[in-house]
Amino acid sequence: MLPLSLLRTGQGHQIMVELKNGETYNGYLINCDNWMNINLRNVIRTSKDSDKFWKIQSCYIRGNTIKYISVPDEIIDLVVEEEQISRPHNLSKGDNTTGRGRGRGDSNRGGRGGSTDGRGGGGAGRGRGGDSGRGRGDFSNRGGRGGRGRGDFSNRGGRGGPFQNNTA
Amino acid sequence: MSGNSGLGDEVDKKLIVVLRDGRKFIGMMRTFDQFANIVLQDTIERIYVGDCYSDKNLGVFFIRGDNVVILGEIDPDREVQEKKLKKVSWDEITKAAALEKQKKEEEELLKRKIMTESGLTIDSILNIDDF
Repeated sequence: MLPLSLLRTGQGHQIMVELKNGETYNGYLINCDNWMNINLRNVIRTSKDSDKFWKIQSCYIRGNTIKYISVPDEIIDLVVEEEQISRPHNLSKGDNTTGRGRGRGDSNRGGRGGSTDGRGGGGAGRGRGGDSGRGRGDFSNRGGRGGRGRGDFSNRGGRGGPFQNNTA
Repeated sequence: MSGNSGLGDEVDKKLIVVLRDGRKFIGMMRTFDQFANIVLQDTIERIYVGDCYSDKNLGVFFIRGDNVVILGEIDPDREVQEKKLKKVSWDEITKAAALEKQKKEEEELLKRKIMTESGLTIDSILNIDDF
C-alpha cells in the first residue's frame, strides 16, 4: 500500500493539509492524483500564524506545495478493508479466465519471483502485486498480451524485490 | 539494494521524523514510497525547549517526502528517561518555543548588524526556510 493510494482511499473524508508556507487548509478531499495535487471542498484556510481565516467553497492545491496532510484515523482501517475485499475478488477473476491465461500468469509470476528476484523469493513478487489491487489487475490484463506486458511487470517486480528483502 | 537505502527496514517501527521547518513527528511508520512520502500512525508532534518537552496527538499523518530531513528509529523503552526531560503542557511549550525563536531571531539580527558594520553581508539564515 503506497502512501498515495492511502490518500486516494481518503476521498470524501475531511483532511487537514499544511502547505510548505505554513498555511493550513481544512476541507473534504474530493480528488487527488499521482502528483498529490488535490481538490478540496468546503475549505477553511488558516494563515501561517493561525490568526486569519478564510472560507473557500472549493480549491485545488498543487501537490508540490504540500508539507503534510492529517487524515482521519479510520482511513487506515478502510485501507485494510479494501485490501481484503480486493484480494478474493482478484482471485476469482483469475479463476474465471481461460485456463491458458491463468496458467501463464501463474508461471510467469512464479518464475519471476524465484529467479529474477532471487533472494526475495516467489513471495516477494506476489506479495507486492497483492499490495495494490491495481497492480494485479494490470498484470492479469497484460498476461494475454505477452512480451511487453511481462517486461513491464518485471520492472515492477524488480522494485518489489529489494523492498521485500530489506524487511526480511 | 538498487538504490534503496533501506526505508523498508523501518516499516511498522516507531520513528521520529524531522521536517525542514524543524518540527518533529513521532509515530509508527506504516508505508512509504520512493519519494520518502511516509504515513505515520498514532502520530504525536513533539516540541523540545531546553530540558522540557510536550506532545500533541495528531492521529494518522501523511508527510510529503520533500520536507523530510531525518528519519530516526525510536526505542520506546528509553525514549524520554535518558535525558531526564520534563513533560509540560502544550500551551507552555508553544509559548517557550515562541520565546526561544524570538530570542534566536534577535541574536541573528544583532549578528547581522555587526557583520554589516564590518563590511560583510550575508543572507540571513532566518530567511532560508521561508518557503
